[in-house]
Amino acid sequence: MFARIEVAMRPEFSDPSAAGFLRKVELAHPEIRRKIRWARLLEVYWLELPASREELIPAITEVFWDRVLQWLFTGNLIPKAAGKHGGIADLLEGAPNRPGKFWAIERRFRPGVTDNVGRTAIEALEIVCGKALPEGRAASGSLVVLEGVELDEELLARVARDVLCNELIETWTVLPESELKNNDRFHPERIRRDIPRVKRESAGTSGARVEELPLEGLGDAELESLSQRRLLALSLAEMRAVRDYFRRPDVQAQRRELGLGAPTDVELEVIAQTWSEHCKHKIFGAAVDYSEDSNTGGKAGIPAQGIPARVESLFKATIAGTTQELPKPWLLSVFKDNAGIVAFDAEDAFCIKVETHNTPSALDPYGGALTGIVGVNRDILGCGLGARPIFNTDVFCVGPLDHSRPLPERILHPRRILGGIRQGVEHGGNKSGIPTVNGALVFDERYLGKPLVYCGTGGFLPRTIAGVPCETKEIRPGDRICMVGGRIGKDGIHGATFSSLALDQDSPVSAVQLGDPITQKRLADFLLEARDLGLYRAVTDNGAGGLSSSVGELATLSGGARMDVARARTKYPGLKPYELTVSESQERMTVAVPPERLPVFLALAERRGVEVSDLGEFNRSGRFDIEYEGKPVGSLQLEFLHEGVPRLELKAVWDGGPPEPKAAHDAGGAIFEARGPELLLSLMGRPNIASKEWLIRQYDHEVQGTSVVKPLHTVGAGTPSAMSGPNDAAVLKPKPGSDAGIAVACGINPKLSDLDPYLMAQAAVDEAVRNVLCVGAEFGNEESVLALVDNFCWPDPVSDPAKMAALVRACYGLREAALALSAPLVSGKDSMKNDFRGKLGGDSVVISVPPTLLMTAVARVSDIRRSRTADFKKAGDALYLLGGNRLGLPGSELAQLEHELHSTEAGVVRPGLPDWQEARRIYSWLGGAQGKEQGKLRSLHDVSEGGLLVAIAEGALARGLGAKVTLPADRDPWALAFGEGFHSFVATVSEEDSSALEAEWKAFGVPAFRLGSVTGFEKLEVTWEPGARSWNVPIKQLRLAWQKGGYWE
Amino acid sequence: MSGRKPRTLVLHGDGVNCEQETAEAFRLVGFEAEIRHLNDLIAERMSLDELSRRYSVLALPGGFSYGDDLTSGKVLALKIRHRLGWNLGAFAERGGLVLGVCNGFQALIRMEVFGKDISITQNAQGKFVDTWIKATPSGTRCAWLRGVGTLELPIRHGEGRVVFAPTRKTELLGKMERQGMTCLRYEGDPNGSEEGLAGLCDPTGRIFGLMPHPEAFVRWTAHPEWTSQPGRASAPGQGLALFENAFKEASHVLG
Repeated sequence: MFARIEVAMRPEFSDPSAAGFLRKVELAHPEIRRKIRWARLLEVYWLELPASREELIPAITEVFWDRVLQWLFTGNLIPKAAGKHGGIADLLEGAPNRPGKFWAIERRFRPGVTDNVGRTAIEALEIVCGKALPEGRAASGSLVVLEGVELDEELLARVARDVLCNELIETWTVLPESELKNNDRFHPERIRRDIPRVKRESAGTSGARVEELPLEGLGDAELESLSQRRLLALSLAEMRAVRDYFRRPDVQAQRRELGLGAPTDVELEVIAQTWSEHCKHKIFGAAVDYSEDSNTGGKAGIPAQGIPARVESLFKATIAGTTQELPKPWLLSVFKDNAGIVAFDAEDAFCIKVETHNTPSALDPYGGALTGIVGVNRDILGCGLGARPIFNTDVFCVGPLDHSRPLPERILHPRRILGGIRQGVEHGGNKSGIPTVNGALVFDERYLGKPLVYCGTGGFLPRTIAGVPCETKEIRPGDRICMVGGRIGKDGIHGATFSSLALDQDSPVSAVQLGDPITQKRLADFLLEARDLGLYRAVTDNGAGGLSSSVGELATLSGGARMDVARARTKYPGLKPYELTVSESQERMTVAVPPERLPVFLALAERRGVEVSDLGEFNRSGRFDIEYEGKPVGSLQLEFLHEGVPRLELKAVWDGGPPEPKAAHDAGGAIFEARGPELLLSLMGRPNIASKEWLIRQYDHEVQGTSVVKPLHTVGAGTPSAMSGPNDAAVLKPKPGSDAGIAVACGINPKLSDLDPYLMAQAAVDEAVRNVLCVGAEFGNEESVLALVDNFCWPDPVSDPAKMAALVRACYGLREAALALSAPLVSGKDSMKNDFRGKLGGDSVVISVPPTLLMTAVARVSDIRRSRTADFKKAGDALYLLGGNRLGLPGSELAQLEHELHSTEAGVVRPGLPDWQEARRIYSWLGGAQGKEQGKLRSLHDVSEGGLLVAIAEGALARGLGAKVTLPADRDPWALAFGEGFHSFVATVSEEDSSALEAEWKAFGVPAFRLGSVTGFEKLEVTWEPGARSWNVPIKQLRLAWQKGGYWE
Repeated sequence: MSGRKPRTLVLHGDGVNCEQETAEAFRLVGFEAEIRHLNDLIAERMSLDELSRRYSVLALPGGFSYGDDLTSGKVLALKIRHRLGWNLGAFAERGGLVLGVCNGFQALIRMEVFGKDISITQNAQGKFVDTWIKATPSGTRCAWLRGVGTLELPIRHGEGRVVFAPTRKTELLGKMERQGMTCLRYEGDPNGSEEGLAGLCDPTGRIFGLMPHPEAFVRWTAHPEWTSQPGRASAPGQGLALFENAFKEASHVLG
């Protein structure tokens, strides 16, 4: 039978979902919001169930109806579940204006889109009916009911498009009052039509569903057009290499033996996925000719050391090469697995991976970010023998939220982007029970075309699992290929190749996927249980490229594989062999199970509600053989598949960067007095600096009970006067029985790319390391654990020598900084196609992101009981600037503000450059390798966006304290107060400890300036030119600006 | 039976996610804690008798069972009711203790442990919130809260607003208060919960559910302001008191 169920909050209760919807309408279309006088949001379910009405009515009542809170509108099915009219009229009566004019917008998923709630509805009905309902179908959606006499269909269509739906995955219908009040939508025929259904393609024989694509005799133009038509994203050189492979006599002989003729679509797709930039990192492996334009005409170049004229592979030279030069005893596995693995202590290890999910997030911010976070979780689950995710990190780079100019076609407003990705990470992290502990938000116009969404996960695992070292990845011939978790659908076909292309207005819908955190949670729980029982030999995730990548990669461990894709469980029938092979449907892992352990593995999976498809076996054939119902549909030599991609040759020419800006007037005095307070207030409210509390509090950052230093520290929690301030990094205590901890933080500074990506990369490393030092990380001893993860997001450098030069410089900047700080790189990922090409008012536009490097630092904290936070603790404490010699205005938030205000820049305009010798001295002392008085630091906060005064304000505003600061007379007040750069911290210590600390700083060469004191008055008082000039700003104003600037709905 | 360590069954599966730290909190005060998958209990058909015989405490930890689809805790409650058929009231009468935290509390409400005119729904602000709150116990009914003062604990939920059937609210509240069921209230209003209710117990005082997470504050270094008192870094957190109460009570029952 069929049923349509509309679930409404009873009118006695407020409807927070409707209120949230109205807030979004207000931001997107305030003029429409004013016309809406009342709104309620209903959940809608469409059911098709092979059961009788008598059986179903009680089941539906029990599953869908909360009598206290809700009414159900079901047509004539369960009239008693509604109010006195038995239908939606009951709800409309609750509207304040009567007789009003009512409308509704209905939202449904498009066919094939993951519908988690629909899936749960079936499970719940099965529980209540006490039997399986394999033919049962349930879909979920929503209905917004609105009242407003001035509303019309066109206005509501705008709301549907811009606020309620993402038309890539959802459809909508506007219902006028007459339709709302009649019961047509409850008619079985109508319900049947409304349940989204994937159209079955006319089934042929399985053979006919594999297409042969002869390459022999194709010329260059035809090869290129084939690559484009099939979304292979393969270059001409690559297409030629593929054609030549299939020409080889040994290959042809082998194919004849298997009954294969011309290359199949399965084979080309597998090659395309494996060779995609996303999977193969061809740019990082390319041979690069680097030169510097000699005619830089007064442009500022940062002296960059050691960049050769020819780089054979940036990855080998600057990433892996850097780590090779830092052979730490605690490095267990680097660059060869899904994530880097590092020893935590004698028994346990931790691992980390950071991914980007930019293209999917541009199309569907919610689904893109959700699959980003659950995807990187799977990297951790598939790291070594499998690790338990213990934290997530998230960094978003988006366009300005107040962007008000017209947007190019198919680009979503940054507010929708951020709102969607925020929610995606919320659902991905919270529902998986993994705390989101660290992150950053960066705003820049150039992220309008493609937002950057970085999702990171840390994992924890025993160093020995079922008698085997945790980093082992070994497969023996005969081990079964098991696909575990979700089923395969058309979602996410071509994700890997697609992200290797620029985004344009015709980008395919199938590249979008939605995640299902609960299926994944079950999968994760099951795998960790199976791991500890030693039920599998190797595991990896199904991410980009689907089975083609996961099985194709694991096959190298045994030397071959054969799988029958017809044996894979699917969401719906009718998938072609190539679709089964490359689909990126979520929540799947691939596991190598020894045949003798397969029965136990399968039995456990069944008990945990996890599906397993046994696809075939690993072998030593040297090939990756793919079959469909026992018939070969593809066979590729592993060596060609993994090593056959032609190497790129790229050109890089550095033109010296932008001209050095000149100070328009003298540094100093009078202007600093006139404009200082106002600029400081503006800075506090800048989105790049302002409070991220809005975001942080919607993420569970404490689940698992390991939290020691949180993203915010809070004074007076649970009282009306609660105040929160920012912390620099998170500290976790992963083991109940140990006081050792893990610190995690990030550094990102794309503004400096405009100056020099070499400097940008160094600043990112320095900031990430300073952040972990702030909270108490170890540093400076051979056994100090400090590891880095790099994530490059670049505009396409392939045919742009300047962008390629930017990449080369960033890599060498990173290398120099990592070597200087003795911090190996353990994992990383790059995304090289962050450009948007589209149309704006008929004109072509290209928007490219600024070269952006995210550095994530993870470090061990020897004893979490000595962790530090950034908030000033007590009035009367002495206030110091540690470091402080390396600050400069170019690339600072102040420079950006002045640029936006069109005012002349003040101060001495010279960028802050690093001094790694000095850095090592400061960091070794902070990290406990030198001296013994570190425990006396009461607070420590790094000087980053906004500069010194912003850092001081952030330290003061969290506890209702103030500060009295005197800037050293021999320094330019602008550069010192607002400059950004390297190696600098604000520290507070009790007055009685100050002399001991000063002595130690002197002894160990740590530059320290006494700035003044923490005060009990909520005021920041700044004096310079000793005694001559000063100004002050109330902390309350600074706090308000900081909070207001960071509140985005 | 005397002499053995009291045992806690910590329920797991289908999206429960605080099982480790919940088990750890029970262990810290002396319990033996077993994390058991709901499907395993169903597979072995664990009866209420068996539950009472083996375990002093049943704990329903926090998490997102079934992704909060069809309202929080709902499908988990349906599964316990239909597949295990446990009557928790009877478990309590036989001396058992039950703790439901966050999603576990939501499931207890859906199982109508606190009556059928109570429900729990979306926070008034319509958002998930992770923040520390203060909550004050009232009355002496709740076995878990005996002698406990105002607690500082984190809340981490999107659906923590306790509500009553509008037509019966006054009558119901009066009755529940007389029975000591309204045992934990927020200071302030973090989520719009009626009467500021943060937790409820059943009339026996042995079944206790709450939205704040006591298992997340068993060591002082979990507090958002602990670094201002570094001298207390090794001290226990306030949430531990609840588990200690349960241990005393369970040991007493075991004799």
